[in-house]
Amino acid sequence: MSNTPKKGFFLTRWFKRTFLGHDQEVRDIMKEEQVQTPFRTMARAFFSKRTVRIGLTGFILIFLFVLIGPNYWVLDLSEQDSTLINLPPSSDFMAVPQEMNGNIVDIAAGRTYGIGVATDGKIHAWGYTRITDKVDIANIPKEVQEADIVQLAAGEDHAVALSSDGQIYVWGNTRLQQAKFSSDMTKAMKAAAKGEKSENWDIIQLEASNQFSAALSSDGTLYLWGNTNMADIKIRSQYQGNVAKVALTSNEYICLLKDGTVAYAGYKDKGSPFAAIPAGLEGKTVVDVAATSGSMAALTSDGEVYVWGSSTSGEKKVPAFSQKVTAIYGGRAHYDALLEDETVVSWGNNKYHQTDVPAGLSGIQKIYTGNFQNYAVDAGGQLHTWGLSGFLLGTDNLGRDLLTRIVNGGRVTMTVGAISVIIATLLGVVLGGLAGYFGGKADLLIMRIAEIVGGLPFIPFAMILSAVIGTRLDPTQRMYLIMVVLGVLSWVPTCRLVRAQILAQREMEYVTAAKAMGIREGQIVFKHILPNVISLLLVSMTLDFATCMLTESTLSYLGFGIPLPTPTWGNLLTGANNSVVIQQYWWQWVFPATIFGICTICINMIGDGLRDAVDPKSQER
Amino acid sequence: MGKYILKRLVYIVVVFLIVSLLMFSLYNLIPSDPARQELEPQRRNMKPDEYEAAYRRLRVQMGLDDPLIVRYLRWIGLWKDMDGTFNGVFQGNFGYSNLYKQNVIEVIKAPMSNTIFINIFSTILSLGITIPLGIYCAVHKGKRFDSATQVVTMLGYSIPIYIIALIFMFLFCIVWRIFPVMGTKTAGATYANSWEEFTDKLYHITLPVIVMTFGSLGGMTRYVRSAMIDALSMDYIRTARAKGLKEKVVIYSHAWRNALLPVITSILGWFLSIFSGSVIIENTFSLNGMGKLYWQGLNNLDFELVLAIQMFYSIVSLIGSLLIDISYGLVDPRVRVDK
Repeated sequence: MSNTPKKGFFLTRWFKRTFLGHDQEVRDIMKEEQVQTPFRTMARAFFSKRTVRIGLTGFILIFLFVLIGPNYWVLDLSEQDSTLINLPPSSDFMAVPQEMNGNIVDIAAGRTYGIGVATDGKIHAWGYTRITDKVDIANIPKEVQEADIVQLAAGEDHAVALSSDGQIYVWGNTRLQQAKFSSDMTKAMKAAAKGEKSENWDIIQLEASNQFSAALSSDGTLYLWGNTNMADIKIRSQYQGNVAKVALTSNEYICLLKDGTVAYAGYKDKGSPFAAIPAGLEGKTVVDVAATSGSMAALTSDGEVYVWGSSTSGEKKVPAFSQKVTAIYGGRAHYDALLEDETVVSWGNNKYHQTDVPAGLSGIQKIYTGNFQNYAVDAGGQLHTWGLSGFLLGTDNLGRDLLTRIVNGGRVTMTVGAISVIIATLLGVVLGGLAGYFGGKADLLIMRIAEIVGGLPFIPFAMILSAVIGTRLDPTQRMYLIMVVLGVLSWVPTCRLVRAQILAQREMEYVTAAKAMGIREGQIVFKHILPNVISLLLVSMTLDFATCMLTESTLSYLGFGIPLPTPTWGNLLTGANNSVVIQQYWWQWVFPATIFGICTICINMIGDGLRDAVDPKSQER
Repeated sequence: MGKYILKRLVYIVVVFLIVSLLMFSLYNLIPSDPARQELEPQRRNMKPDEYEAAYRRLRVQMGLDDPLIVRYLRWIGLWKDMDGTFNGVFQGNFGYSNLYKQNVIEVIKAPMSNTIFINIFSTILSLGITIPLGIYCAVHKGKRFDSATQVVTMLGYSIPIYIIALIFMFLFCIVWRIFPVMGTKTAGATYANSWEEFTDKLYHITLPVIVMTFGSLGGMTRYVRSAMIDALSMDYIRTARAKGLKEKVVIYSHAWRNALLPVITSILGWFLSIFSGSVIIENTFSLNGMGKLYWQGLNNLDFELVLAIQMFYSIVSLIGSLLIDISYGLVDPRVRVDK
């Protein structure tokens, strides 16, 4: 306690004792016995406990985090991305090794990884390179390491490399025909290996996408291979031998022909939005093509950019360029344009900051774009990166950022907990007040109801209420329903507490005095007695808050609380109870469980401390 | 005592009727029409007006147009059914499960035995641990062991049980590989004798029981401890010590018997929480128990099954409260005198 008497310097003490007598020192000690209001005693007892201070700090931090956090990590309920599922916590998707800097031959940006080849012929892989348990892009095959690689391409789950002697290598996931070359290609490669030069096997462009790849020869022959079930990877004969550049979406491709026109060269062009080449391109010379997963773009010789396709995430909103565009590059849902003054303009989806081009970027010679990553090389050979560098807490099974879901889920869980506590407290206070003060039949009735409600097994009953009533409600209404159900089922302890307190307080003198003054009964209960009970009520509210949060999360965990996709701390853990998730995707349950555990522990610490402070007798316990 | 028990029994029957009425009316809120369901297969072969007439007839036949209270009394078995017999819950007819295409009573048998099996184990374990632990902590209040226990029990009741289950699964099933992750029996196992079957089952439910025990440890230990501290601070303890009684006698005979009163009241709430907690445990560990069945029933909208299980839960809670009341009377003579 801070009011222990100060000893003071020994000289002053000696001085006092000698000249003022012992009496003075004694009186000093007596002076320390200050009179405190009960509230101050409580507050002091409350804050003096270490557990309370820890709990309070922890809770306030978490509370502020979930209160303010959703403004930064905005929740998008419809969000999902098949390329980003089950990623562990990481921040190295663009961590290009230091030895690559300044001597880059080629870089390819894959799903969540990057591969690059340096001038010394060494191939590097960085980022999250694991595709499945067994398959890892970073396991670069020996023959690729030994070959003199000049070009790279990275697809969803496979990587492609071209060596200077005309050999194409594929590694990564090859179970879906990603490495199944056509007979023409194998023949050409065999010939190239013998050192024979051939017209139609002089590969100038290598591309890879969702389970398929493309290679383009300088004479205009396009080779496509991969999973034929998904992608449109055949080429109509009138275009073969005529292709100048190719760009791949996730299941289609677009060709820039040698005559400066653009053509959808595949067979699945009927009704496809990709085959609907904009009318504005007619009569103009196209110099570059690019594609995102759901759109295609063409650049004309006069610097205009046209975008078409099925995408809805903003790639079609082409910005006005200050300079002439010289080249365009496509990521998964965004485009980069290199301007004549060697600066970069980016547009499209910006959820992962793919289009946040660093300020002051100039002198850019070449851009490598793929998925959500951008690598730009300037005149000095320096590498600049922007885009998705990783997920701090990983992603879930639908490719959603876990941090965003935890922050927003916390807000929902806390809101539901708080409102149900308020409902429960209101019900408990009113019913307990009535029962305690009026007694008799009202008491009997209310306490019997309380006994029945209190006797019902909580979780099963809440489940049936949620299931029976909730079937006709939309998700928002269902959230309100959960609040009401929790409130209506948990008022009993508060009611008992208030009743017992009022029974005790009713016999006090101040109530008799109030009665003598002719104050109405209702006024006496709620205005005179209740303030004396409020501190105990506060304790029970705090502890109930933790309980309600627990119950909500339990219901959500079982699937009878707040329905997905609205996140709560409970339903984030739904489906976590299988060994695959527990072991391999540990971040999906460890992080929500940790923050939720810490939060409830903090609240219970505060509640315990509050109870000890309010009821001094319990401090001895 | 006999009169007291009788009074409680009457009260329980009344409460059971009220709760079941509540549940039944809740169940009737669900938009479902058994008559239409019954007629659906023949609908194609009938003309619309013919179908409508048949539908009306069937509704009357099934008694769907009767008032709620009549249907309730029929279901519970206190009103003559359509064929003139009493055929309800009291006669042992709990309805028909649409999910399992079987009578509910048949569906429930195996899960019920599993649940009771698990709950008995975890109840014995919990009481066996919490009571000595609480007493020990109260006697050694403020010591290091006590403080450590306080922290652990705080964790136990703050962290939701399914998170505890996940952590235990991670440790025991994946890191140490001691227990299987889920299920009540080894897949495809054939047993030579029933003893082998029993040990296999025991092996599978060990982890759930541990988790359940751990989850219920927190609240109970704290309760026992605080009741015990209250009792130990009484004057009669000082008297007992002054008389020169052995410390053991003071604690177990004088203090503990008085601390028992508040502990017993709290056991009811705890007993119920174990049963509703088993919904979570059984789901997490995929155990074939009542909780899992309840969850399945609710998910598949098999409400006759759900209603029957809900009745089971209500009966458990009511019998639990009866047992608590009786033991309360046994422990505290004043209760017996009063009522």
